[in-house]
Amino acid sequence: MESSLQSAGLLEQMKIHLSTDAGKEVTKKIGLVYQLNIAPKKIGVDEEIFVVDLKQGKVTKGPYDGKPDATFSFTDKDFLSIATGKMNPQIAFIRGAMKIKGSLSAAQKFTPDIFPKPSKL
Amino acid sequence: MAMRDLVTGGAACAVPGTAASSSNPFGALANAILGSSSKTQELKGLPGSAVNVPGPSSDFRTGAPLTTIPGLETEGQQHHQPVGQNYEFLAGFRTADHGVLADAWNEIHQPPALQTQGGKIEAQFQEFEQIYNRGANSMLPPAWDGPPQGVLSRFLHSFVDSGRAGVPFRPAALPVLGLSEGDKQCIRDRSFIMAHHIFADKSEEYINAQVNALLHSLDIDGNERLRGPIRGSYPELEEYWTESQGAFRSGMPNPADKWVSEFARQRENGDPEAWAHSFEQLHGTNGWASEFEHEQSQLASVGQVRGANMSHIAAMEQSRMLAHTLAQNTDPKFQNSKFLQFVSKMSRGELIVDENQIKPATGSLTDNWADEYQAQYNAGSSTWADQFVHQDLPQGTDKWVNEFVKENQQQGVDDQWVNEFSKLHVQDWAEEFGQQVAEGALGDSTADDWANTYENFLDEQLLASKQHSGASRGVYVFSDMNPYVGHPNPLREGQELFRKGLLSEAVLALEAEVLKNPDNAEGWRLLGITHAENDDDQQAIAAMMRAQEVDPTNLEVLLALGVSHTNELEQPEALRYLYKWLQNHPKYGVLATPELADSPYYGDVARLFNEAAQMSPEDADVHIVLGVLYNLSRDYDKAIESFQTALNLKPRDYSLWNKLGATRANSIQSADAILAYQQALDLKPNYVRAWANMGISYANQGLYEESIRYYVRALAMNPKADNAWQYLRISLSCASRNDMFEACDSRNLDILQKEFPL
Repeated sequence: MESSLQSAGLLEQMKIHLSTDAGKEVTKKIGLVYQLNIAPKKIGVDEEIFVVDLKQGKVTKGPYDGKPDATFSFTDKDFLSIATGKMNPQIAFIRGAMKIKGSLSAAQKFTPDIFPKPSKL
Repeated sequence: MAMRDLVTGGAACAVPGTAASSSNPFGALANAILGSSSKTQELKGLPGSAVNVPGPSSDFRTGAPLTTIPGLETEGQQHHQPVGQNYEFLAGFRTADHGVLADAWNEIHQPPALQTQGGKIEAQFQEFEQIYNRGANSMLPPAWDGPPQGVLSRFLHSFVDSGRAGVPFRPAALPVLGLSEGDKQCIRDRSFIMAHHIFADKSEEYINAQVNALLHSLDIDGNERLRGPIRGSYPELEEYWTESQGAFRSGMPNPADKWVSEFARQRENGDPEAWAHSFEQLHGTNGWASEFEHEQSQLASVGQVRGANMSHIAAMEQSRMLAHTLAQNTDPKFQNSKFLQFVSKMSRGELIVDENQIKPATGSLTDNWADEYQAQYNAGSSTWADQFVHQDLPQGTDKWVNEFVKENQQQGVDDQWVNEFSKLHVQDWAEEFGQQVAEGALGDSTADDWANTYENFLDEQLLASKQHSGASRGVYVFSDMNPYVGHPNPLREGQELFRKGLLSEAVLALEAEVLKNPDNAEGWRLLGITHAENDDDQQAIAAMMRAQEVDPTNLEVLLALGVSHTNELEQPEALRYLYKWLQNHPKYGVLATPELADSPYYGDVARLFNEAAQMSPEDADVHIVLGVLYNLSRDYDKAIESFQTALNLKPRDYSLWNKLGATRANSIQSADAILAYQQALDLKPNYVRAWANMGISYANQGLYEESIRYYVRALAMNPKADNAWQYLRISLSCASRNDMFEACDSRNLDILQKEFPL
């Protein structure tokens, strides 16, 4: 996946993570499709779209072919904060750092623990 | 731990002939609280010393329920003692000279019988002092030695004794007690209060003289009575806490709470009645006092030291813990026992000493505030309480906000105000939202989630303000209270500490060095490396950038910068630094073309590095850089190869093993990663980063319980590793250990280490 976003790195890791046993657990547990609109600086501006498909267990770039269960919009940094547990998704939502479209119950399952953490060199 | 001291009386007070455990905790507690029967002799037999209570010792056995006090190492068997035995136990005490506890209990229970005035006051003071004395030690930063409890308490007791005996107190030369300003303020204020009580019949002059004598001996300036600014703002602040807490704690049925309503109903004076009712609302075992104290402790960590608050809060915290433990005991009779009620009340500061009785207070958070309330209470008016109850929330908010902002200028507090304010509104909104949407798509209630999230929010705010205050990336944040400043040769000290693996200490020493010599490249470099090993890339980058300023050609610095930026997923910067490494290298500099330096394109850089590797395959460093480079492009197989080549050349480089491990982990070969980390840890046992990485590897494999242990171990070595705290929390929730959330959020390593040992 070519991308200049920091999030891309994490999403790449997510992609390969989903093929492991642990990743398969996640798909079993959640079974939803999330679309992520990640913008470099400001929400909605120059977004790159990724699809985290936790039904089939894959991560792709580009809008989802179909209707995702929930769509999130945030900035690069904020997505990373959420995925690494630095920022709570509910708090992010309240502060307007994360916008949600679609099913709220699906959105609620979008938590840091579905993402693998990057190890530090 | 101070709590242990409280219960065991500060010295191993083994009461002979008691039950199975060598020091019956409950007996020791009673002992500590009540002093000993030889109290009648002046200046002897004080709580700090090991004196046995002869008479009622046989009754101690009956008071076993407290075997599970936190902090105690005695293995407790749960004794469920019905109320009857408590009566017996305390009855036993009544036969001793100072049946104070019984007195207090009677006070609540029945109209006062024949009690000696002086004995009661004194003993109640003792109790309070005990708690206060023990408490004064616990929450304060470890940089200084705590005050010698025994000396201080003995001294204070002698003061009380002399007062009781009507003998003018003689100032005594005391050894240096190492009291902090906060301690001193606390002692000062309390001494005045106590003196007023003891010498109620004497003149104002006499009182002042006595207190000054006391203070003089303790080396406290009697005139600096700081009362005032803090006072006014707290009552409203507490109200807000209660409001915000009350809404979410209502779901927690705590049997010990019944007493609150019971007692309030029974009280004859309904003066601040409205206030009492609202106070009733808020409870779980975490009263607002402890919530507030939690907040306070966070504040303190932002750099604001309010000693007086801390010690008092700490005292309450401990008695709260005691009450909590007692409440845990599921025997209903025990829970409803008056004793528990009494202790609970003490812990919440609801009972204070007033004139000659124990009166319900309003939970004093600061001594000053308690004074004020007492004054108002005695005067029979409850103006602020009434006023407050009738005020609208938003209105009140403004007033409080103004006061608070006006009275505190430190930046940390402004942030905190913002937190409070936004938290407040968050709560209201969240409440509504929760109620309205609960029937809708949200499914199960998120009340608990919200409760947790605002705490996190607060933490996050504080953290953010601390890290980014005046600084975005690249500005180094120095630690406060650095004991190494002024050290003759901090660099050498730092190097020594680093070698020994005491990373956090090394950081302090090195900071002292660079404060002294800001141009010391080696100091900055080592500081950067230490931070990286301590798993703090932000600070590592900041330090390394300074090192680079001083010495732009230092290859290690450039490599370290490349690595840290890679870890932070900042590809372009990482590339730039790695390229600079090449440029500045004596051998490979020729390969580098200057145009590339500004915006290196990955492909070119990689190619050049490969050329360099071919030039000298025996150079481990080139391979290391290559490995990092391949990590950037997620070419993990190639990266692993490079690192392995490097490792063949440098097998004892622990950081190399870690790099190999991390690369493996990121390419989801987690099991192999762990092996590599083990190698690194064998070489350097205090390698915080490797410990944290191990935690990550387990977590990524879904082995959450294991990961928790590793995170805790890493955090024990470096409590400032924020990443690790976040990850720990996630693992706790995945492992369904929500009971440990509080410990995690309050960064309580003791509990976590006990719960999750390696």
